[in-house]
Amino acid sequence: MKRLFGFLAVLMVMSLVLGACGTPAAPATDAPVAEAPVTEKKTILNVWSFTNEILTMAVAFEKSHPNVDVVYTMIPMTNGEYQTKLLATLGTADVPDVVALEAAFVKSYVESDFLADIGDLQKYADELKMYPFVYEVGMADGVHKAYAYQATPGALFYRRSLAKEYFGTDDPVEIQELLGDFDKYIAAAEVIKEKSGGNTYMVSSNGDFQNLFFANREQPWVVDGKLTVDPMVEKMVETVKIFRDNGYEARATQWQEGWFAGMNDTLTDAAGNPKKIFSYFLPTWGLPYVLYPNSTSSDGASTTKGDWAVIEGPLPYQWGGTWLGVMKETKNMDLAKEFIRFCTLDEENLTNWATGVYTNEYLKAIDPTVPEDQYQAAGDFVGSQVVVEKITASFDESEMSAFLGGQNSYGGFAAAAPSVNARLMQGSDDAIQRALNDPLNSFLEGTITQDEMWTLWKDAVRNEFPDLVIE
Amino acid sequence: MLKLKHHQYGYLFVAPFIIGFLVFGLYPVVNTIVLSFTDRTLMSSSYSYIGLKNFQNLFADSTFTTAIKNTWQLWLMNFIPQMGIAFLLSIWFTNNRLKLRGVGVWRMIFYMPNLMMASAVAALFFSLFSFYGPVNQFLVRSGLLAEAIDFLRKPAIVRGLVVFIQWWMWFGQTTILLMAAMTAISPSLYEAAVVDGAGTIQMFLKITLPLIKPVLIYILVTSLVGGMQMFDIPYLLTDGRGSPGNSILTNTINMYMKFHSSKGHIGAASAVGLVVFVMTSVVALLIFFLLREKHDQSAEADR
Amino acid sequence: MKISYRSMTILYRVFIYLFLVILVVITLIPVWMLIVNATRSTVEIQQGISLLPSKYLFSNYKILLSKGLDLPRGFFNSLTIAVLTTVITVYFAMLTAYGIVGYNFKGRKSLYNMIIVLVMIPMQFSIIGFYQWMSKLGLTDSYASLILPSIASAGSVFFAKQYLDSIMIQDLIDAGRIDGATELGIFHRIMLPIAKPGMFTMGIFAFVAAWNNFFNAFILITSRDKYTLPMLVQTLRGDVYRHEYGAIYLGLAASVVPIIIIYFLFSRYIVNGISMGAVKE
Repeated sequence: MKRLFGFLAVLMVMSLVLGACGTPAAPATDAPVAEAPVTEKKTILNVWSFTNEILTMAVAFEKSHPNVDVVYTMIPMTNGEYQTKLLATLGTADVPDVVALEAAFVKSYVESDFLADIGDLQKYADELKMYPFVYEVGMADGVHKAYAYQATPGALFYRRSLAKEYFGTDDPVEIQELLGDFDKYIAAAEVIKEKSGGNTYMVSSNGDFQNLFFANREQPWVVDGKLTVDPMVEKMVETVKIFRDNGYEARATQWQEGWFAGMNDTLTDAAGNPKKIFSYFLPTWGLPYVLYPNSTSSDGASTTKGDWAVIEGPLPYQWGGTWLGVMKETKNMDLAKEFIRFCTLDEENLTNWATGVYTNEYLKAIDPTVPEDQYQAAGDFVGSQVVVEKITASFDESEMSAFLGGQNSYGGFAAAAPSVNARLMQGSDDAIQRALNDPLNSFLEGTITQDEMWTLWKDAVRNEFPDLVIE
Repeated sequence: MLKLKHHQYGYLFVAPFIIGFLVFGLYPVVNTIVLSFTDRTLMSSSYSYIGLKNFQNLFADSTFTTAIKNTWQLWLMNFIPQMGIAFLLSIWFTNNRLKLRGVGVWRMIFYMPNLMMASAVAALFFSLFSFYGPVNQFLVRSGLLAEAIDFLRKPAIVRGLVVFIQWWMWFGQTTILLMAAMTAISPSLYEAAVVDGAGTIQMFLKITLPLIKPVLIYILVTSLVGGMQMFDIPYLLTDGRGSPGNSILTNTINMYMKFHSSKGHIGAASAVGLVVFVMTSVVALLIFFLLREKHDQSAEADR
Repeated sequence: MKISYRSMTILYRVFIYLFLVILVVITLIPVWMLIVNATRSTVEIQQGISLLPSKYLFSNYKILLSKGLDLPRGFFNSLTIAVLTTVITVYFAMLTAYGIVGYNFKGRKSLYNMIIVLVMIPMQFSIIGFYQWMSKLGLTDSYASLILPSIASAGSVFFAKQYLDSIMIQDLIDAGRIDGATELGIFHRIMLPIAKPGMFTMGIFAFVAAWNNFFNAFILITSRDKYTLPMLVQTLRGDVYRHEYGAIYLGLAASVVPIIIIYFLFSRYIVNGISMGAVKE
């Protein structure tokens, strides 16, 4: 009996120790709530995002709203952590007030019951003449649920020196004329192939332009709960097949070395023969973050800086972007809305954001704890036509404009943006389009027929969307 | 009287586990089981019970059977060589006659791949074997290939890569486990056997194998469980959908695709999980049954 | 006769070393390529793989620092979680397994069967259910939700039980009882020392798993000051369009070092633990 008692005592001590492990956490979770009212009387606004970008806005917001403490949480989405965390918190007491939503999944949230109606902000959007596709993405059944500060229209970048060589001109207006639709683009690809003896490819990867066809469909993927294939999708398959069969594409993979190597003219095939890429389809952010840094080879020996130009290309499209929405359960609805208005629909903030006002010093003056790497360089393309028109000229002399052989980088996107539309976008788009990728590649390789491709694709879609009607 | 008391102590020893499980583990398990009978999606707050419909859908769907077949294939193909190498290494490392140097260092090195993050490993192998990658360069320039191959579009090669990476990441851990079991065997047993004139193979079959059988069962069963839930590498190596041609689509990727589709069909995903669970349990039961029978017989024979 | 036996052994040994060297090369080349990336610039990494280190180690380090990550704090957090998880996993797994192996109580067979069944459950996506349950218990954003579930780590109990099966000696336990040791005393003073190789094996795996587990940690932990080292490294990917791969690889390499040290400390016992002599004869 004594032994048993001793044993119980040990168990109790153990549970106390374990209890102690749990307790430090408890005050920690309460701490911000408990401290804030006493010391500074600040209202807390919880913002979750998958990027560090919006932290810059959050700090700027605190400057104009000194009584607010924006608690910013960044969760990466490399392995789906962000999406999983967001899904897990839905319906619990732990939901944040404001969430950032990426292009691939923004629409499924907008279509769900979890985001609040923030339609009273639309009047600001109208005032600032937001590009319609930017707020269309944030709309479901006529209700506005998310807005974005940036617009991410896509464009076509091409090598000036190669354009001169094959078409006798590098003038963007003339080249746009030459590549103005996909039939022309295919014809031009043939010219390049012939004149270069097959050593210059029109495009690096066929994945570069599939988006363009999807963006220009006339019917959404799902019509009345039924999977629908728009003629534009069939046209895409046809075009991709032409590119593969005729060797117009370099067969690289997006985001892989071959794709990057073409940007700085160091692409060689496996045998060591040099190859060139004529054009890349990239959106606004692709210029400063993808094309520009990779335009010089890693050994510094080869560079294509100054040899690029930008045009609208064969079809309008958009790629990427970050939207902001308010969770329905928020206890600070007005503040959350004000935060979104400030970030996405405030002329001064958008101007500051795009013109490089938010330097690290600027942010540190507001909040000294901001990391050194936190700042917003000039050049992000914002969603308001009013702002774009006012600031475009200021980019005439920018680094990016020099990169584009003197062409105004901002102006290039301003020309492309108005024709983009996102009305057909649905939550299931991303999964449905990704499902087509593998069967399409098998079809291109000739291992399956086109009919088999469609069947495989429908099987894959059915697997992911049990409630979809698929014929 | 003393014996009865012992029984009571048994309950006390296992009590923390049971309490811990009731507090932390029970809810998620029950939740998953319940969800598999619903059409619940994460994007909507309402749902209803639909009986066995999720399961009917699964078995009517060729993707599901493909996934099960792939999972088995990928697991068996990496588990068998993994056990082979691990056995060789642990026998050598624990052998008193060989007295190999630097056992700790070798073992550390073989365990290293397990510390690498799956996403970095997958990215590395993707780069190595991509169309413009170094493997193609090497093979074409040395004349072994006439022209570059899109390796990551070839089902057999992609499967081989997954098998290799899994083997590479896990054989070190299996070696450590086997060694832990083998070092628990007293050297005097082997000494006695050597005196009796037993050879290495005989000693392995007659002494080592029977004595490490419990740990062997552990390795077999956990590897089976891990194999049936294989996810990271096949998910990260290609497009996250088991391409090319669903060749590396595993059970868990299939589950993840349902779960991460735009609506988050967690009900349908749970159903996949439940079926995989039942399948694993049946096979594990078989392993226990087969190995335990023999174990008892040999124990009796020893007596 | 004796000479030939010895030369056989030497030949055998040479063969084994050769085999080991080849295996090491296969094992280390990919690891080396990942580590080398820590010294390369993002553009270099995007443009291909290399076996040769580059000169960007220091600039990657500067990028890492400029992100404002509190790395010492992350290291401390990781260590806290990993150590507590390891101790709890190993101790309670041994306790439970010993309870099952050492005492013939009613229902022990079904309990063990239940534990085996728990091992089979695919846990990957019950994380959502787990999160919502933790939310109800008020344990989200606390380490308790990461550490305490290891009290009931079915896989570890499974291992501990199988391991004890292969080393359990009833005689020593009975001797302990005759000497008047308490039941828990027998467990602590006789059972645990005998089981050292198994415990440290389990410990290494529990430590590595806890240290590297950033996925679940991201789901359960929200406050930045509670982030672990691997979580902080993952936040380097926070710029969707501009990844600093060099710094990410440097961070990955740095977060692996502590586990290698722990591994070296622990793994000595895998071999030496049994030095207390004959156990199962």
